[in-house]
Amino acid sequence: MKKGDGELFLFWLLPALGLTWILAFLVFPGFAPPMSPTMSAEEVAAFYRDPNNLPWIRYSMIVFNWFSIGMIPFLTLIVVQIRRMAHRTPVLSYAYLGCLTGGPTLLFVANLFWLLAAFRPERDPALTQLFNDIAWVTFTGQVGFLVADCVFLALAIYLDRQPHPVFETWVAHFNLAIAVALAPAAFVAVTLTGPIAWDGFLSFWVRNGAIALWLAVMTIVLGRNLYRERRAGAIPEAGFAG
Amino acid sequence: MSAAVADHTRARPSGFLGRIAWHWRHDPKIELWICWWVMVSFYQLFGIVFVLMTRVMPPPRPDWDQARIVQWFSDNHTGLLVGFGIIFLVAGMTASSNAIIGYSMRRMSVSRAFAYSYIAIYSLSAIPGMLFAGILLSVGAMRPDRDPRLLAWLYDAGFLTFVGTMGVFLIGTLVWMIAILIDKNRVFPRWFGYLNICNLLTEFVVAPCWIMKTGAFAWNGSIAFWVDTGVFVVYTTAFIVLLRRMVIREDFGDGPLPDPS
Amino acid sequence: MTSPAASISSREAGTVARRPGAGVVLGEPDMWAFVLFECLIFASYFIIYMLYRMADPELFLRSQEHLSQDLGVANTLIMLTSSWLMARCVQAAREKKFEIASRQVVLTLTCGVAFVALKVTEWSMKLREGLGFSTNEFFWFYYFLTGIHVLHVLIGFVVLAVVVHQLRSPERRSQEIVETGATYWHMVDFLWVMIFALVYVMR
Repeated sequence: MKKGDGELFLFWLLPALGLTWILAFLVFPGFAPPMSPTMSAEEVAAFYRDPNNLPWIRYSMIVFNWFSIGMIPFLTLIVVQIRRMAHRTPVLSYAYLGCLTGGPTLLFVANLFWLLAAFRPERDPALTQLFNDIAWVTFTGQVGFLVADCVFLALAIYLDRQPHPVFETWVAHFNLAIAVALAPAAFVAVTLTGPIAWDGFLSFWVRNGAIALWLAVMTIVLGRNLYRERRAGAIPEAGFAG
Repeated sequence: MSAAVADHTRARPSGFLGRIAWHWRHDPKIELWICWWVMVSFYQLFGIVFVLMTRVMPPPRPDWDQARIVQWFSDNHTGLLVGFGIIFLVAGMTASSNAIIGYSMRRMSVSRAFAYSYIAIYSLSAIPGMLFAGILLSVGAMRPDRDPRLLAWLYDAGFLTFVGTMGVFLIGTLVWMIAILIDKNRVFPRWFGYLNICNLLTEFVVAPCWIMKTGAFAWNGSIAFWVDTGVFVVYTTAFIVLLRRMVIREDFGDGPLPDPS
Repeated sequence: MTSPAASISSREAGTVARRPGAGVVLGEPDMWAFVLFECLIFASYFIIYMLYRMADPELFLRSQEHLSQDLGVANTLIMLTSSWLMARCVQAAREKKFEIASRQVVLTLTCGVAFVALKVTEWSMKLREGLGFSTNEFFWFYYFLTGIHVLHVLIGFVVLAVVVHQLRSPERRSQEIVETGATYWHMVDFLWVMIFALVYVMR
């Protein structure tokens, strides 16, 4: 087994997990359509108590709980790619690494609060609404690590000045565009209505669409890289040599 | 790379943007400078958001009754929401600080484990250090008509996580301190290694804030907050300056790039 | 990645170029900078303590009576003895009597352990009387100041261990490290004396 094979295993994890995420995402009643922040506490409680919703809320969130951390091995593959770029220091890979645990952890926290809200739906509606709020604000608003990762990767690519750069320049432009697309969602708590609210065009559709697009594009780009490197036998010490 | 060598000898343009463009194109240390500047910008932004916009530093009193707490949320409604929105957006900037500090440990004669543990520990530091507080206080501010008991809980939880989370910074500082003190390459001066002790101790000093609601040891107290924050500011200023000196001292120039293995 | 200077530790024999300030003070100037800063921080704690005391002198005087003066004096004597031992150690090391110096440090360490043991005993006695951290303002400061001081003593154990390690082996034995360690320990002693004076004795 060649050294690069390990990376390929990790790589193929992502599309497999990605499918589970998409499924969970589509199945969660709170996303289709996205719940409105203007729902009163009673309405939110009724939503969680509704027997049509409750099981699906729980199952979809359990699936997220299992697999949301699966993003991390994929992101580490990108760290390894950054290490192969023509940089003088490893700082950009460290910066990327430093961001990649935060996002999934916060997704986890959001997941936790949705599950809590669903655990005892007969609870005081004000509490259910509170958990729901915390979950939504965390899920939507915590884009900082994703934005930073996109920016660091773009910087890394721009600074990868060699005849055969690890990633093509358009990947950098793409990452910056994604960072911009994610930015408005950080302000999710500012309003309860409008495009920035958690059910709004920018915070829900653009944000989640951007993440999905990023995952799809980076999967293709990374996959191409890994196979190309494997063919060329050019994979140096696999894993974190720096 | 030969193009870079030739450019390096050309005269640098004047003017602010011109100089930045020159550095971007030709400075071999551009990665380090980017990390350093992002770190400095982050701390300044942090100061503006936490002190001026959200008014979370200095913190309001723990011994307020529910009505007063509700009042505080409503008084600071916009500042809290917009300020924390900014923090949510830029949280990842902390990673550049961790990156350059991790790098400083790679320049030392010590094991790589130091750099990796530091980065690992601090990559999550933003969550208890500021993001939880941001989430909880934002959720509090976003619905002014929420049950006052819940607002009081969010208030407590927000400030306690902000002021009182200690372990990350305690162990992280310890790791960096040990690295500095046993380092033979003298990347940092010894006094900074000792200063780490001061920063480490602040994490002990702040512990009573989980118990007290008034006085010097509450989360807004003269000792648990003010003296501790003073030490933190001195410490942060010191390492920002020292890291700058470290980057200036870097001497890898235009030579061949290191082998990525 | 090691710089050429790494092989020349300026801690070795004083013939190598010394850093500015070295030789002017006992041990590393860096340690003195740290000691000064720590004393500054403690000064702020003491000032805040005094302010609270002035606001309610009745309460502070009354609570102070609960403290065992005997234990306080005992602790002070132990600390002063340990400082004296450390000073003797530095002198012995200067005279190249490393065996003796090493023994002095171990004795200092023992004093330190005795100090901590006594402190913990004192705390448990107070706790059994129902006088805890939150009992009243005086006791906040009592537990806090003695507690943070004990932390410094514990750090001092690490410092002393480093000094012992240095003295044990002929390849090391850096005079500067011994002196630096002594400086730290003297600071710990000094801080205790201040705490004793302000918290136990002052009426």
